[in-house]
Amino acid sequence: MSATVMIVDDAVFMRNILRAIITDKGYTVVAEAASGIEAMKILHDQNPDIVILDIILPDANGLDLLESILTVRPQAKVVICSSISQEPIIKKALDHGAKAFIQKPFTPEKVLAALESLEA
Amino acid sequence: MDMSPYRDLFVSESRNHLATFNALIVQLEDNVFDRAAVDEMFRHAHSLKGMAATMQFDAVTAVAHRMEDLLGRVRSEEIAFCPALADLLLEGSDLLSGMVSAIENGEVPQSDAASLIERLAAFTPGPPESPELPPADADPESMAVDSPPGKSLFRQSDSFNSIRVKTETLDRLVNITGELITTRHRLMDRARRHAGQALDEPLHQLSTLLRELREEVFKSRMLPFAVVADRFPRLVRDLARKQGKEVSLQIEGKEIELDRGILEAITEPLVHILRNAVDHGMEKPDARVAAGKPPGGVVTVTVARDKDHVDITVADDGRGMDPHRLAQKAVEKGILTPAQAYNISRQAALMLVCVPGFTTAVAVSDVSGRGVGMDVVRTAVHVLGGTLAIESETGRGSRFILRLPISVSIIHALLVECGKLTLAFPVNTVSRTIELRRGDIFEEDGRKVFALEGRHIALKSLNRLLRQPLAQRTGPIVPTVVSETGGAMAGLVTDRFLRQEEIFVKPLGIPLSRMKNLTGGTITGDGRIVFVVDASTLV
Repeated sequence: MSATVMIVDDAVFMRNILRAIITDKGYTVVAEAASGIEAMKILHDQNPDIVILDIILPDANGLDLLESILTVRPQAKVVICSSISQEPIIKKALDHGAKAFIQKPFTPEKVLAALESLEA
Repeated sequence: MDMSPYRDLFVSESRNHLATFNALIVQLEDNVFDRAAVDEMFRHAHSLKGMAATMQFDAVTAVAHRMEDLLGRVRSEEIAFCPALADLLLEGSDLLSGMVSAIENGEVPQSDAASLIERLAAFTPGPPESPELPPADADPESMAVDSPPGKSLFRQSDSFNSIRVKTETLDRLVNITGELITTRHRLMDRARRHAGQALDEPLHQLSTLLRELREEVFKSRMLPFAVVADRFPRLVRDLARKQGKEVSLQIEGKEIELDRGILEAITEPLVHILRNAVDHGMEKPDARVAAGKPPGGVVTVTVARDKDHVDITVADDGRGMDPHRLAQKAVEKGILTPAQAYNISRQAALMLVCVPGFTTAVAVSDVSGRGVGMDVVRTAVHVLGGTLAIESETGRGSRFILRLPISVSIIHALLVECGKLTLAFPVNTVSRTIELRRGDIFEEDGRKVFALEGRHIALKSLNRLLRQPLAQRTGPIVPTVVSETGGAMAGLVTDRFLRQEEIFVKPLGIPLSRMKNLTGGTITGDGRIVFVVDASTLV
């Protein structure tokens, strides 16, 4: 499989680790963004299959960004990645169109399981 | 998954977070209603916690988590920001800093943070002293943090416009560029001799390109002064609090970029001058008021750039220094004769504070005043090829002005003694050093050689090549530097090996730059001039 992925997280550290985990398993990271603005700019030209999105970003409201992403790229499968563990928020994100949720701190297994669940 | 490749990144990212965190604490103390700052601090603690958890550094995660919780309580206005809270957060930040350093050294971070964790969790503010805050519309379930743009200290995005490069790599780039330039000189020499003017045009092109390369490489070594200055507010705050003084610090020109080597070298000197400004220079609030000044003192650090130098000025509005009293003290200490003290200029009198062992502090505080500080500062500035000037007015304050060159090369060098000179061999031109014995040296085809790993290497006298007096050999040992450059190898006999050192190299100006065998000079810590040798012209 070579599903294309965009990673959105403001921490270089997190992006690096996520990238390492998924490229190991054959996913292709086609873009990375550190802010909502960057993410939207990239989506203007690129159409990744999957978007891994940290919903705590310094310049954007997570839910609003999720909606914007799905407006521009409705086929994108968005995976929310966050350290927020409260059920209501996870439910809200899924209601708004996110397809899966990865809890931080994550293990490689958790990340890959979430990505695999997208194929179902 | 093996996390060790991410350790370096963890360390550098953590340091960034902690540095900004500290700056925000001090900023918040000036304005406790700064919601954006609180939000930012929360985010930094949150990010640190996340990274530490991913790396499974449980001790770090635990502390960061508590600090995040505490900041969460400030965000939701359950508690207000106050000095006691600031102290607690700073303690947490220091502890985290120590843990990060341990991680950097490959150790497991200490988890003796139990007491701090308890205090963080149990923190309750003292009696309320601040007026009511404006009502908050913070939704505890909100997933995002709103912050007014432009006020945030947070690095907006770690985007792809910049990449991280190891500083050793940059140092090597500088060295290679230096060698390229030297090699170009030799090329031009040979070209003129063998080909007349035929090669002039491409060589001229080469010169221009090398000049550009040199400039770009130097620029890549530049960092903003903020890198050094970011720790100053905290330093001044802690000192002032300890001594019961009120001091505010202003920094101008934080964004001005300086060579990394220079920044590294002036950090401690600047810290020392700042300490002096608060410790000696600043009066306590009631003394200031009695003198007709505002109770709080101001220390400013200003950075200003000119075409070929940069001025860093540390100024305070404290009690100033009295040149007469300084001269008097110098006489008491036997540094000056009474006659000298009588005739000494104001400038020279102020510079007396740089004489080793000189101090006018009445009591030696634990911070400064031991008399070992300012002379080290002055030497550090001179080693960089800069100058130090001191201005002061009794009762009004003092100014310390460091004037430094814009760029410096740092090389690792082997220092040797040769006749009357101390010389520096860049280590990348030194294959090894050998202590030869007379029996190792023999003649071959009319020249002296010695055997090394099966080869016969030519032996030359450095003293003779540089026209220095020959040493009287007292023992059987012949110290030899084996140098290989440009494909040729030779042993250079010298008087004595001294040591290896990292030196700041200044290019030689005219007329010294015309000397064939030297590529630069430096001043060592004890004030001696050392020339850097161009091994390729000797081998």
